Amino acid sequence: MEASRTSLRDGVLSHLENLEACSHQLALKQEEEEQQEENVARLKARIQELKHQRDKMKAKLNLIRGKDGTQSATQTPQASNQAALELRVQNLKNLLKMFRLTGISGKLTREGVCLCIGTAFEGTYLDSYYLHLRIQHPIQIQRHTVPAFIHLKQIADEYLQTDVKRFFSVLSDHLNAYAGRKFQAEQLQEHFAALLAGPLQANSLYSLVEFSYRVEAGGKTFPFLARLTYEDPTCILPTEASVAWKEDAVASGAEMVASHKALFCEKPLHKVFRSFTDSTENLSQAVAPEPSTSTAGVPLHCGKAAAW
Amino acid sequence: MNNNILQVYEDEIQSLENEIKMLTEEYECNQHGSMAYSNGKTTKAMKSIKKKFQEDPKQYYSSPNLKTQLALLESDFSFLMKFTGVWFKNYSRKQLEKSGIKTVYKYRLSGNCQSVPFQLEFQLTEENQSDKNGYAVVTDLNIIIESEESSDLSKFVSRAEESGNLLLFFKSLSCFSEWCEHRKYTLAHFKNKYPDVVALPEGLSGDCLILKNFELSGFELMIVWKIYVDKDGKVVPVLDLLNKIPLPVLENKKFASAMPHWFRSLLHVLGIEASIEAVIKSLCRGK
Repeated sequence: MEASRTSLRDGVLSHLENLEACSHQLALKQEEEEQQEENVARLKARIQELKHQRDKMKAKLNLIRGKDGTQSATQTPQASNQAALELRVQNLKNLLKMFRLTGISGKLTREGVCLCIGTAFEGTYLDSYYLHLRIQHPIQIQRHTVPAFIHLKQIADEYLQTDVKRFFSVLSDHLNAYAGRKFQAEQLQEHFAALLAGPLQANSLYSLVEFSYRVEAGGKTFPFLARLTYEDPTCILPTEASVAWKEDAVASGAEMVASHKALFCEKPLHKVFRSFTDSTENLSQAVAPEPSTSTAGVPLHCGKAAAW
Repeated sequence: MNNNILQVYEDEIQSLENEIKMLTEEYECNQHGSMAYSNGKTTKAMKSIKKKFQEDPKQYYSSPNLKTQLALLESDFSFLMKFTGVWFKNYSRKQLEKSGIKTVYKYRLSGNCQSVPFQLEFQLTEENQSDKNGYAVVTDLNIIIESEESSDLSKFVSRAEESGNLLLFFKSLSCFSEWCEHRKYTLAHFKNKYPDVVALPEGLSGDCLILKNFELSGFELMIVWKIYVDKDGKVVPVLDLLNKIPLPVLENKKFASAMPHWFRSLLHVLGIEASIEAVIKSLCRGK
């Protein structure tokens, strides 16, 4: 009896404790169930969404198949109309994007047209430049992103009013040559920094480029100073290259100067350097060329470039 | 029990996702840009949309996003085609590779540059990592040009294929095809103006013009007008004057041999049209 009394006294507490635990568990369970329900609802919604997406995709596919094949007449008007519109919009967008490859793309604006001039060096597409033209007489350049050192005004004065196409073609020559020269200089600094002594100096148009470099041959280092002049603003190879021997000459120095001069006028800058490292590799294993030089084609960083 | 239900739903989602993925892949493989212009259906559809708009602007705006978007894109597209002279007919794109760094697509593209048809195949690697601007590199470029002029282009085409310079290719091709159009126009002009004197043995799209004077039988002048594209993509028209003069008529051999040279100087001073005109006039005066 004693025991039961104490147990009763304790029992009230423990009972309460039990009850509390129970309610806590119940709450947990409820929460869990709610969670579960929420999950189910979410999954159901996701399934609906996916089904919708699948049906849309199927409709689009049917449209393509219908176009190529036979059953285009059987399309139900409402649903397929929407899909057809979406398809056409998408297609046009893609085709418009293709114009970027040609170097001239753009769109009509309220007052005229916005044209985009693309640039590339060999297979690499580089920066794009935009011009907003107001189409009226005379044609006006409203605003543009052509760098100040490109002689836009001069080119515009010469061609814009008489031959818009020619204007764009000439401007594109200038921009492409500038972008090409800049790209070569950047490639040189990026991949052959080890061969350059100090930074490369260039004017803003990259029509005057100067840099010191060294070439290793037969275990010796030969330092040079190169100065490249691009007299024609539409050319990507120098019209004049001067190479100076930086230290007292050894007999073979003069020979190298002459061959380097010729190379600079013949090949893009970074390719000349690639040929240097290739030939050193062949001659001796003394120099370790930049590892990245072997991965031709896809440079890693080149700062600003065309938005794709 | 509950977990089983969840599992069922998740499985369904999984299978739906797979299905969509397959459909999307099929769609992307099948996607042709041809609907845009070459397909009469679309043009008709466009016209009908425009018509509807004129008839009932309200309906036009019923789904303003898509329809206005389409109309705007359509006008951009036709403007660009007129402006560049490039008409894209067919286009397909297939994704070959995608990673955080780059996306590689294989493109097939065909179309016309003025009257010159082209077919292209290339890979385009788009960089995803560069800060905000991605840029693209063209590799494995293959170019097919099926036209009478293709032989003049072959050197340039193979150089473009080697370097992957698609931009330069388009630029030079449009310049080249413009010259072709111009030549066609000029030949037609002289044929119309001097029908008795001018003969076009290869037709309007040929590159030569024969000048005859009926009173001087056997006396013939031929102007050959080639359009060269050098390996760097520069387009240059080259004209030559050849003669067929029977020996008895030919009093002075020097005259005949100096003629091509004279014609070149004439071209320098007068330009193409005026030079041809001058040669024709001198021939007519010869009567």
